[in-house]
Amino acid sequence: MTSRLPSQAKGGFNFDNHVRNAAMEGKGAALPKATKTGTTIVGLIYKDGVVLGADTRATAGPIVADKNCEKIHYLAPNMYCCGAGTAADTEMTTSLISSQLELHRLATGRQARIVTAMTLLKQMLFKYQGHIGAALILGGVDISGPQLYTIYPHGSTDKLPYVTMGSGSLNAMSVFESRWTPNMDRESAIELVKDAIEAGIFNDLGSGSNVDVVVLTKDKVDVLRNYARPNERGVKEASYVFRRGTTQVLKTSIRDMVDIKETVESIATSTAMEVDAV
Amino acid sequence: MDALVSKYAHSSASPLDSSEGFSQAGFDAAQQFALPMFDIPMVSNPIDFLRAHTDPSAENRIRIQHGTTTLAFKFQGGIVVAVDSRASGGSYIASQTVKKVIEINPYLLGTMAGGAADCQYWERELGRRCRLYELRNKERISVAAASKILSNMVYDYKGMGLSMGTMITGWDKTGPALYYVDSDGSRLKGERFSVGSGSTFAYGVLDTGYDFDMSVDDAIALGKRSIYHACHRDAYSGGSVNVFHVKESGWEFKGNFDFDKLHWDYQAQPKGQIV
Amino acid sequence: MEYNGGAVVAMVGKNCVAIACDKRLGVQAMTISTEFKKIFQATPKTYLGLPGLATDVQTLAEKFRFKINMYKLKEEREIEPRTLAHLVSSTLYERRFGPWFTEPVVAGLDKNNNPFICNTDTIGCINFAKDFVVSGTSTNQLYGMCESLWEPDLEPEDLFETISQALMNAVDRDCLAGWGAEVVVITPDKIITRTLKSRMD
Repeated sequence: MTSRLPSQAKGGFNFDNHVRNAAMEGKGAALPKATKTGTTIVGLIYKDGVVLGADTRATAGPIVADKNCEKIHYLAPNMYCCGAGTAADTEMTTSLISSQLELHRLATGRQARIVTAMTLLKQMLFKYQGHIGAALILGGVDISGPQLYTIYPHGSTDKLPYVTMGSGSLNAMSVFESRWTPNMDRESAIELVKDAIEAGIFNDLGSGSNVDVVVLTKDKVDVLRNYARPNERGVKEASYVFRRGTTQVLKTSIRDMVDIKETVESIATSTAMEVDAV
Repeated sequence: MDALVSKYAHSSASPLDSSEGFSQAGFDAAQQFALPMFDIPMVSNPIDFLRAHTDPSAENRIRIQHGTTTLAFKFQGGIVVAVDSRASGGSYIASQTVKKVIEINPYLLGTMAGGAADCQYWERELGRRCRLYELRNKERISVAAASKILSNMVYDYKGMGLSMGTMITGWDKTGPALYYVDSDGSRLKGERFSVGSGSTFAYGVLDTGYDFDMSVDDAIALGKRSIYHACHRDAYSGGSVNVFHVKESGWEFKGNFDFDKLHWDYQAQPKGQIV
Repeated sequence: MEYNGGAVVAMVGKNCVAIACDKRLGVQAMTISTEFKKIFQATPKTYLGLPGLATDVQTLAEKFRFKINMYKLKEEREIEPRTLAHLVSSTLYERRFGPWFTEPVVAGLDKNNNPFICNTDTIGCINFAKDFVVSGTSTNQLYGMCESLWEPDLEPEDLFETISQALMNAVDRDCLAGWGAEVVVITPDKIITRTLKSRMD
């Protein structure tokens, strides 16, 4: 086994548990499922920049694990990235690349380009041959204008003026296909993105809750978290607070927090030790 | 002889539908005792078909009720039958108030372990047969004969997915009788049985505390306690304990005891001497 | 998850948080222990819940104790709950292709005494929640209980009743969890730990 002491940690993935887990699966143990983002994510290019959109539902099998998660990840000041697929993979992949871009920016003293981020992402995903289940929409504005890419888990990429991904991609694309035009203005671009995400929220079971929007232009980025909230929960009509003392308790221990004050007192040293001599 | 053979050969017609058995002057045993027929799935291998739909990995899995603790034992005062009351589908607790003792008739009890539907259906069918026997022979069926009818019925469906582990108890001419019958075709006569996922735990307590000469009250307490301990250790047993006493005048229901109450009552009691 | 069984839940109240767990350790159907520890104190006001495969629960509890102590020595301060969540996340994601079988829960008060709770999946995807998080074999049942019982701004005493009833009623519909429960309520000035009286089947 290649188990390392924490002080020798090298970074990168650790496969130590793989053999054990495969053996457990072989014995018929049900392996836990990771959180997925059955998702609708979209992006489009308009007159002055890029608009990215995403729903906010995270699922674990049939269960809604998170009703208001963030799927539009920060990559760099001029780039954001929507993620679909295995939630941990999109989160970790984008934050890893974000860190590399920050170092790249500090090393070069220049704003990073969108192609640079795209290349870093696709090279990482290709290296892992699709095992990292991240499907991404990368959008941003750099020296050569607004850019929009899709990156698939196996590392292939597309460069298009309007894109959708995730389980609600077909619903969202039907909205884009009927209403997208070149050189849209900001207002109608945001509205179109919102409508595309809502098509996913309402018609795709894997997507739901709210609409997040990020608008990227040459010199400004607007993060519109929960731009639309079309699924506001109704107010509870009754309260289910239990009468205090309902729960039977066997044992209670209460620990009080105590402020420990440290005071230093200088003790005047007596001139000489005194011994009571008779 | 030929007529009899053709009756069996032509088994696709449902024997239960025909009223011939009653209307005709002659009693036709082949008709009356023919087994009920079930529709078998129209696939080449019904067993694989069922397995595919009950396997844990199946996408839309049918969860059949499993997991139980049941016991019955003979002693000087007759037979005590005790069971738990939990029904589970996978790890989900579907019910805590299941009746796992099936009252076949005032002198016969059956217990339920394995598939709930299988046990209920076949023990009801057994009840029907026992009643017919009574009418025909002007005397009650023996427990040995009743258990054998059940055993023979389920044996015909061996390997086709039936799942039942049951104890048939009662009082007949020979006195108290206790048989274990399962869907594999086993039929065993015995003094002491426990069936189900919690049976090993129940046996532990039962064997420790058992004495043929014990009083009725002690026997009931032992049955209760054995099921209680099985419910505590076995994840798939629980709810409450149902106790029955089988005696010469037939069976008698001795009560339903909620596990939670039993647990804290037992906790408060001083521990008994074992060695 | 299903091999040993167990459930953990955490809830936010008014200037307080609560975390609760059942106490069963089983080997499939057989209950081995009813005193199994699933929640661990990370800092004076932060607790870490680790339901799942028992061997991994104990391995990770030690791993995190080590990492939290190292953080304290380097930074000369306690780790914040949000920072701990990211520490947990990256520790799990390191094993992306051979995961630990546990879904950790972090619950605590930060340096300004603001409540914080979150959970992650087996490979470290963090789920920040404002209301409650659930984990373990009784997840489905706990979601149902919490969605109906939880409400905002519960006082510590009411939060205790709510989380206790949510947990106990959830595990009463799960074969693999229960057999006692432990609840920790964290408030700015005290930590209240209670052992509950519950069904033992």
